[in-house]
Amino acid sequence: MKFKKFLAVALTAAMALSMAACGSTGDSGSASTSDSTAAGDTATSDSSSGGDDKIVVWTLAKDLEQFADHYKEKTGKEVETVVIEPADYPTKVQTALMGGESEPDVIVGEPQMLQDFYDNGFFEDLDQFGAQDYADQVVDYVWKVGQDADGVQRAISYQITPAGIYYRRDIAKKVFGTDDPEEIGKLFKDYNTILQTAQTLKDAGYRIFASDGEMNYFSGDSAWVVDNKLNVDQSRYDYMDLAVKLYQDDYTAYASQWSTPWYQAMSGPIPILSQDIQSGSDDSVNVWDSENFEEQTKDLPKTEVFAYGLPSWGVLTLRDNVKDTSGSWGVCAGPSYGFGGGTFIGISSQSKKKEAAWDFIKFCTLDEDTADWWIEKSEGDVVSLKSVLEKHKDDENPVYGNEKLYAFWLQQAEGIDYSKVTKYDKVIGDAWGEAISSIKTGASDKDTAINNFYDTVASTYPDIEIQR
Amino acid sequence: MKTQKSSRLSRYNRWGYAFVAPFSIVFLIFSVYPVLRTLYLSFTDLKVMGTPHFIGFANYARVFTDKFFWRALGNTVRIWGVNIVLQLGLAFLLTIVFSDMKYKMKGLPFFRIVYFLPNLIAATSVAFLFKTLLDWRYGTFNIILHNIAQAFHKNYIPIDWLGTSNHAGYVIAVISSWMWFGNSFIMLMAGVQGISTDYFEAARIDGAGRWTIFGKITLPLIRPILEYVAITSLIGGLQMFDLPFLMSSPSSAAYGSVQTVMMYLYKFAFTSGTVQTGFASAIAYTLFMIILLVSIFELYLFRKDDRKEAKEERRKKK
Amino acid sequence: MKRQGKPVGFVVNKTILYILLILLAALCIMPFLLMMVNATRSGVEISHSFSFVPGKSLGANYRQLSDYFNIYRGMLNSVIVALPATFLTAYFSAMTAYGLAFYKFKTNKLIFVSILIFMMIPGQLSLIGFYQLCTKLHMVNSYLPLILPAIASPGTVYFLRQYAISVVPRSLMEAARLDGASELYIFHRIVLPLMQPGVATMAIMCFIGNWNNYLLPMIILNKKEKFTLPVLITTLNAATDLQSNQGAIYLAVAISVIPILIVFCIFSRQIIGSIASGAVKE
Repeated sequence: MKFKKFLAVALTAAMALSMAACGSTGDSGSASTSDSTAAGDTATSDSSSGGDDKIVVWTLAKDLEQFADHYKEKTGKEVETVVIEPADYPTKVQTALMGGESEPDVIVGEPQMLQDFYDNGFFEDLDQFGAQDYADQVVDYVWKVGQDADGVQRAISYQITPAGIYYRRDIAKKVFGTDDPEEIGKLFKDYNTILQTAQTLKDAGYRIFASDGEMNYFSGDSAWVVDNKLNVDQSRYDYMDLAVKLYQDDYTAYASQWSTPWYQAMSGPIPILSQDIQSGSDDSVNVWDSENFEEQTKDLPKTEVFAYGLPSWGVLTLRDNVKDTSGSWGVCAGPSYGFGGGTFIGISSQSKKKEAAWDFIKFCTLDEDTADWWIEKSEGDVVSLKSVLEKHKDDENPVYGNEKLYAFWLQQAEGIDYSKVTKYDKVIGDAWGEAISSIKTGASDKDTAINNFYDTVASTYPDIEIQR
Repeated sequence: MKTQKSSRLSRYNRWGYAFVAPFSIVFLIFSVYPVLRTLYLSFTDLKVMGTPHFIGFANYARVFTDKFFWRALGNTVRIWGVNIVLQLGLAFLLTIVFSDMKYKMKGLPFFRIVYFLPNLIAATSVAFLFKTLLDWRYGTFNIILHNIAQAFHKNYIPIDWLGTSNHAGYVIAVISSWMWFGNSFIMLMAGVQGISTDYFEAARIDGAGRWTIFGKITLPLIRPILEYVAITSLIGGLQMFDLPFLMSSPSSAAYGSVQTVMMYLYKFAFTSGTVQTGFASAIAYTLFMIILLVSIFELYLFRKDDRKEAKEERRKKK
Repeated sequence: MKRQGKPVGFVVNKTILYILLILLAALCIMPFLLMMVNATRSGVEISHSFSFVPGKSLGANYRQLSDYFNIYRGMLNSVIVALPATFLTAYFSAMTAYGLAFYKFKTNKLIFVSILIFMMIPGQLSLIGFYQLCTKLHMVNSYLPLILPAIASPGTVYFLRQYAISVVPRSLMEAARLDGASELYIFHRIVLPLMQPGVATMAIMCFIGNWNNYLLPMIILNKKEKFTLPVLITTLNAATDLQSNQGAIYLAVAISVIPILIVFCIFSRQIIGSIASGAVKE
């Protein structure tokens, strides 16, 4: 009977469509073939067993693309890298792994994401592969950040990321009469001094920073949450006052970090609509006449920015953006020790090629030749292997007036306190940032803003104890 | 099938099952199940992964006492309110202009298309465009204002459109109405064009003025459309997400004034580090109940007008 | 009102009205114009001044953009999602609408009422459950959860049911039945052609909706290679490298807008007609 036949076909079609959905991991071509091979192997397949051992890396740092190419050159083994934007990365990894995605064999994380990833069991235990044998070779704080609450090694980083202050040597010479990192470091030794420095620079027609968030990496001497209690120590308040002052007293160029003008200020003067523009006296301004208008806007006030506060990977950011000011930069110590970011590599607990993944991680993080290669390739990134840092400590970096940066970073890294990292950092940091911007823009007074901050934390994490 | 009689004529009716079968299956799997699953989860303590434990109404209690949920709801309503007033107001004005019997404005097809243009572009692109244009110290918009001010010998202090709580919400509302007024205009215009011109001619002969005609003829006749626009835009508006989500950042001073309920829900449902699925589900259902109540109230208001009018009609007849 | 009939006042008023209408039109077009122009200028030029004269950096911007991502891949992905989804919605909604409109069976009422209810239920209500379903079915990072549910689109079914009742005469089907036509034949060969204008209308709206959809693809898809255009565009937000050249960002947004503008140019009459009919029908 036609009806029954049709009904049957319709039902099977609908079921088949839905089932097809269940069966496939929803990936095209290469990925599904690698899946099927993996299914053939056992979970403990070792890397020498041959066949399609291509591993997949999900990363937020483009660096790993270069590592993967280098790995292929050296070992002949294929690595596919999937780069996900840093802002989306933690959420993407989380949704994927919660969804049972087995594609990434290697996943990475930055310090503030790691704790959450550990808690959710996304990272495989590296100790079973003998990770602890390498404990002494890696800079201490990096090694510790890669461990979960029980001290199990879950991730390792190939780089260290102590923070420093990047400044323009040419401006320093003009305004302060010296460009020596030691001397300039004294101008940043504490927040009050920084404000004085800012005033001196403003009087000379410069701005100390592009944004008011440049001291962020040096803020906070303790963790946000200690023993499940919210902990706001005095240095947080000091930082808040500093950021508000920098903003309200017109010491910065009002660019947000990572925005176009923020980058452009690295290579020279930027035009800025400032609050104390004199009212115009030119009658001929005609906004609808574009050529004429362009002439007019050329007269917008311009300013140059003196310094940036960035972790050691800022060496690369500046390298790519300084253009004509190359060679006239320097790096000095900030008001305290700090670090920021850093790509930690680990094995996804849902990977089917863990041995191969470990081999890749070892290659990236624990191999001296790779570290040597990376230092040369990246033109200044700071690796985490002590022996290699030692070896390169006399390297001079031409972008930074031939400063010996590795010696500097190694010394900064020794002061870092890794216990400051908690899984709450991103959210609580954002809430603190919201409080700071509310105060600086005058949207609310200090008490209201801080109270609001406490409320936000209380509402987001009802389990955290809060004493106001 | 049971009896000979029913079989011949109504046997084909069973084909109805076949025609609705694919829809029903997919509907059950992808619409009904998720909604019920969310309901179940809203009574559990599920966070990221693991087994959910039943905790009764605790999540709902937390939603109701969470001042940030209410702040988010307030933001949503405020942004939506400003948006709907501008959007419908502009659409109304345009409808009046184009339906005016005296001026007989030409070029409706052209203007309709142009006004609809902003609605075509994905909100993500719109958000990007305006975020760069409206940048505080470096955006084109402020540079233009600055130059206009200079032309008039005035000093323009640049306004941080998206960075301060006084402005950000309204800016987003204006952009949103910019995106949608063309749509409303087309709908209203369609309603007016559906009205027989006889009405207008008759009223004109009776000497009725422009506003009388609008109030007494046009408005009542296009009210069902208004009702429809109001309800759909309410349901859409209370779920506002794309624009405010893409045009603000969690550490900005404006965040507290543009975070919508949907963004609040997203924070607890998907953002790494704050995922609390059970709580997020409760937020979803609380919002749903609020939308439901408001829709019912809105319908009640429209209907009340109907009843009042009906009553007046009767009184007049007496 | 006093001036009624006076030609001068009339002309002046009318001119003012036209000017206002054109200003509003300019307001609608201006951002796109700025976007197109800025797409051809370098980052430095953009932040130093603004202009309606195209610059010379189109090529450079394009190169930087293509280094960062393949925007055409995003477009292709959007097509891969939007076309099948639109087709499924159009075909199955017409079928369901037809079934609900012209057949008497037990669950007819029930289904119709559920459709009405689900039209009122906001999407966020199912979002969490839907995502969890996808994780259970291992459909995360796949297009299936974006395409398959298109089969069940309550709003479209509701609209088409009303439409079918008003445009398809029952007598036509009875006649066909007497001629011995099968029910499938009746639907595909007789009813579907009659419903075609309504289905096309809904299909266009559905395509635009799918093309511009952001939240769901953002949650479901994980890899840049799979991102649909709107999701891909938002990665620019996080693309710190690209931020150093706004020209490239403007260019990306401009390219993303072009396909939908072309679709609009071709179908503007239908699109506007469909919004209008949507309003009149409901």
